[in-house]
Amino acid sequence: MTDREDRLRSLLDRVRAKRPDERETHAAEALDRLRTASGTVAATAQAPTLPDPPTSPTLDSPTLYSSQPPRVERPLSVEPPARSVRPASAPSLPLASPATPSQSRRPAAIRPQSVAPTGQPVVYATDQPEFPRPKTFGELLELTLSLRPR
Amino acid sequence: MHDGRFDPSGFYEFNLSEGMVRTRNGDRVVVLSEDVLSSLVAAAARDGDLTPLRRLGELLGDQVLGSLDRPASVLSAEAVLGHVSAVTSLFGWGRLAFERWGAALVVTLRDKPELDEDELGAAALLGGMFSQISQRQVSCVPTGESKFIMVDFEVAETVWGWFKDGADLPAIIGMLETKRAS
Repeated sequence: MTDREDRLRSLLDRVRAKRPDERETHAAEALDRLRTASGTVAATAQAPTLPDPPTSPTLDSPTLYSSQPPRVERPLSVEPPARSVRPASAPSLPLASPATPSQSRRPAAIRPQSVAPTGQPVVYATDQPEFPRPKTFGELLELTLSLRPR
Repeated sequence: MHDGRFDPSGFYEFNLSEGMVRTRNGDRVVVLSEDVLSSLVAAAARDGDLTPLRRLGELLGDQVLGSLDRPASVLSAEAVLGHVSAVTSLFGWGRLAFERWGAALVVTLRDKPELDEDELGAAALLGGMFSQISQRQVSCVPTGESKFIMVDFEVAETVWGWFKDGADLPAIIGMLETKRAS
């Protein structure tokens, strides 16, 4: 056995002779140092539900949240007619009934049914609002040329 | 076809060898100084014959019609205004805009050449231009402050008389009412 092997064996024996609780303390300290060095570890562990929007594209900012497009729950314009038109005598809306476990896990999407008066066909709620059509130049001209002294 | 906006590029063609300036639809035009034009218009107004200026307005109206892809009557007022104001500017007649005063359509023409005190030269030009654009007999009567009310030619003299008697635009509007054809 060489001198070097002797020194290594001696070191190994000393490590084995240490108490188990002392080794756990060292392990905890090492873990704390790791957490302090990387703030994102703690942030990820806490998992905030609504993080503040980032003000600058730094690495500390949760860019993943802001860069993703907002999830659209079935836009009204593409709602199938069969789902939006309902006879007046139909039973109450599903959203009005107690939520099932699967519904309680996910926020309910805003749909025409949820804002339509009970018993009223939903087609009224989904109709495009009628705005006054701007007059054409011809209509404006017709109007002004029809002016006569009182 | 264009996208609905007026395209001023290449509007004038300068032929130096022949000494001519033409618009892009072939009309020959002559560049005049404001002073010369002013004296000509003043003389025409004194004689009571503003036909040449009305004819010039019709030529401007032709330019507008040539730039539209549909009849002006079916277009929005904003679309027509874009073309009319562009042509008016290209001929150096100032900044044109529309105003609605109740049922009345009012044309404003700011920064126009100073021609005659009563603004009858500009009125004749605008009347000719909008008559050509709309294919109707339109009169633009001066009501002060570079505003011209657009009315049927049959009531133009009456409205002009009100203005000469001191009525301003709101008063003139108040003395008019809409009468639809039965």
